[in-house]
Amino acid sequence: MGSLRWRQFTAILRKDIVMELRTREMLTSMGLYAILTMVVYQIALAEAGEGLDVRLIMPGLVWVAFIFMSMLGLNRSFVHEKDQGCLEALLLSPVDRPVIFFAKFAGNLLFLLVVEALTLPVFAFLFLQGRAGFGGGLWMLALVLLGASIGIAGIGTLLATISVNTTGKDIMLAVLFVPLQYPLLRAAVGATFAGVIGGEGATSSFWTWMGWIAGFDIIMVLAAFGLYEFVIEA
Amino acid sequence: MKRGYLAEVMLALGAVITTAAFLMTFFWAPPSLYPDGRVDFAQKIFYFHVPVAEASFLVFFFTAFYGVRFLMTKRKEYDVKARIATEVTLFFVLLTMATGILWTRVEWNVWWQWEPRLTTYFIMTLLVIGYFVLRNSVEDEERRATYAAVFGILAFIDAPISFFITRVVQSTHPVVFKSGGLEPPMLITFIVGQIGMLMLGYAFYQLRLKEEELKERLEALKVALGG
Amino acid sequence: MTEAAEQPAVEASALERSFGARKALDGVSFAIPEGAFLSVFGPNGAGKTTLLKVLTTLVAPSRGSASVCGLDVVEGAVELRARIGLISHNPLLYPDLTAEENLLFFADMYGVENPRERARELLEAVELDHRRLDTTRTFSRGMLQRLSIARALLHRPEVLFLDEPYSGLDPHAADILDSLIASIRQHHTFVMVSHDLDKGLELCTHALILSKGRVVLFERREDIDEREFRETYRRVVGMGVA
Repeated sequence: MGSLRWRQFTAILRKDIVMELRTREMLTSMGLYAILTMVVYQIALAEAGEGLDVRLIMPGLVWVAFIFMSMLGLNRSFVHEKDQGCLEALLLSPVDRPVIFFAKFAGNLLFLLVVEALTLPVFAFLFLQGRAGFGGGLWMLALVLLGASIGIAGIGTLLATISVNTTGKDIMLAVLFVPLQYPLLRAAVGATFAGVIGGEGATSSFWTWMGWIAGFDIIMVLAAFGLYEFVIEA
Repeated sequence: MKRGYLAEVMLALGAVITTAAFLMTFFWAPPSLYPDGRVDFAQKIFYFHVPVAEASFLVFFFTAFYGVRFLMTKRKEYDVKARIATEVTLFFVLLTMATGILWTRVEWNVWWQWEPRLTTYFIMTLLVIGYFVLRNSVEDEERRATYAAVFGILAFIDAPISFFITRVVQSTHPVVFKSGGLEPPMLITFIVGQIGMLMLGYAFYQLRLKEEELKERLEALKVALGG
Repeated sequence: MTEAAEQPAVEASALERSFGARKALDGVSFAIPEGAFLSVFGPNGAGKTTLLKVLTTLVAPSRGSASVCGLDVVEGAVELRARIGLISHNPLLYPDLTAEENLLFFADMYGVENPRERARELLEAVELDHRRLDTTRTFSRGMLQRLSIARALLHRPEVLFLDEPYSGLDPHAADILDSLIASIRQHHTFVMVSHDLDKGLELCTHALILSKGRVVLFERREDIDEREFRETYRRVVGMGVA
C-alpha cells in the first residue's frame, strides 16, 4: 500500500507539472502579475524621492506582490480539476484523500517557489541597484521564501479546494485567505526585513521570526491536512 | 420549552447585571489616575471593552466546537449552532472594535492604532465576515455547512496566533492584570460586567437558536406536506 | 433462479440520505444479481444522482445501508473503489493531457500493473490508438466518450455505473457506445441512470423508478408490462413537474 500511495502522489504531481508546462497557465499569469505589481510600485514610490531607503519597505512590497500572486495561481490549480469532473474521477479511485492534499500542496509549493525565485532578482534589479546591498545573507532570504511558501501553499491548497466550488471564486479565496495568512505574512515580513537590513541583532530577530513561520506552517499544514478530506468530499 | 424559558431569564438577568456593572463603573469603582494625578476617565471603558472582548472569544470557541461536531456527525443541527455562535461572535467582535476605537481616540488622540489587540480584533472581524461571505456563496446546503465548519475551525486556530504575533512587536496596549493592578472594587466591577456579558451572550445564542429551530420545524412540515 | 441464492452484486436496504428535513433518498431498497443490468429512471430531483453517489462511495448514507460486490459502501469504501468504474456524461478526463497520459494517470491511481500495455490494449479496443498522443482537448464528443470508457475499464472493474452515458452523443457515437457496452456486457454488472426510457428498457434486466427519493417501482425486465411501465413513468415525471 505504501508504494501505491507514493505512485499516486507522484502521478498527481507529475500530471500537474506536465499540464503546467504544456499550458503555462499558472506560471505566466503569476509571473506577469508580479512584474505588473513592480510597475505599480514604481509609480507608488515615484514621489518619495531619492532619499528613500527602499530596503526599509522592500520586505513589505515583496510580500504584497507574492501574496496576491499566489492567490492567482492557487485559484487556477483547481479549476482544471473541476473542468470535466476530473475531481470526481479522482475521488472514485482508491486514493487516500491526504495523498491528494499532499500532491496538490507539493505542486502549488513548487510553482510558487519557481515564480518567487524568478521575480525576486527582477525586483532587486529594478529597485535595489546602486543602493546598499543585502545586509544579511541570501540564504536568509531563501529560507524565508521556503518557510512562508509552505504556509501559503498549505492553507492555499485547502482554501482553493473550497473556493473553486463557490460563486465568485476569485474574490472568495482572497476573503478567506488574507486574514488567515495574517500571522504568516507578519512573520515573513519581519524575517525578510532582518535578512535585508542585516547588522547587529538581525540574526537573532531573524530566527525569532523564522520560529513563528515554522510554528505557523506546522499548525496550519497539519490542520489543512486533517480537514482536507471533509472539504474535498463535500 | 424549558430551555427557551431559561434563555429569557438569562437575557433579563444579563441586562440587569450589565446595567449594574455600568452603574458600578461610574459610581463605585475608584477612578484610575494618570502618573501625574489627573483622572483617567477613558479607563472606564475598560469595564465594558474587556468583558465584551472575552465573551466574543468564548463564543467563537463554539463556532469551532460545533464545527468539529458537525464534521463528525454531518448533522444539520450542529451547523445551525455553529452559525449562530458565529453570529453572536460577530456582534461581540464589532462591539469590541467600536469600544476599542473610542478608547484609542480618547487615550492616544487617534481613531485607529495598529496595536496588537485592535489588530487581532480587526483580523477576527474579517475572519467572521469571511465566514458569512463563504456561507452565502455556496449553493448546496451540506457543502455549505462543511466548508463553513472547516473555515470556522481554521479561523479559531488562527485568531490566537494573530494575537500573539502582534505582541512580539512592542505593545502599547495597557496590560490589564499586571501584579496588583486592580483594586478590589475595580476587580469586582469588572467581574460583574463579565458575568453579565456572558449571560447576555448565552441568551442571544439560545434565543437565536430557538428561532432557527422553529424555522427548521416549519421547513420539515412543508416537506412533509409536500410529500 | 440460482441467482437468488448468490450474493447480490448491488444491494440497498432502507437507504436514506438526508440533510435536515430534506430527504434525497428515503428508504430505498433493492438488490440485483451479478451480471444484471439495472436501469434507474426518474424525474430530475428524484434522487437518481444521489443514489449513484452513495453506491459509488462518494457520499455516505444517512441511514440504512448499501453494498456493492458484497462490500459495504462505507466500511469497505476504499476496497470497493478499486472494483467499480464510472462512465458519466462528463468525460472525467484532463483536457490538457494526451489520451495515453490520461489513461496512464488513472492507471497509477488504481495501481494497475503493466500500465503501458493495458493503456495500449484499451486504446486499441476503443479505436483511439492513432490519436493516443493528442491532447483530449482536440477530441470530439464521441471520442471523449470512448476514451472515458477505456478509462473506466482500466482497472477491470466488476460493476460499472453509467450516469446518463448517452446524453450529448450523436447517433454514430451512441452506436459505438452500444457495441462497446454489448462487448463487455457478459463480465460486468451495470447500473445505469438515465432519462432515456427506450434505451434504458432495451438494455436492462432490471428496472427501477425513483420519485422523491422513494422507489415507485422495481421489477425484473421479463415481469415488466411495457405499457403499464411507461404509464407509471409518465405519471411520476408529471408529479415531478407539478
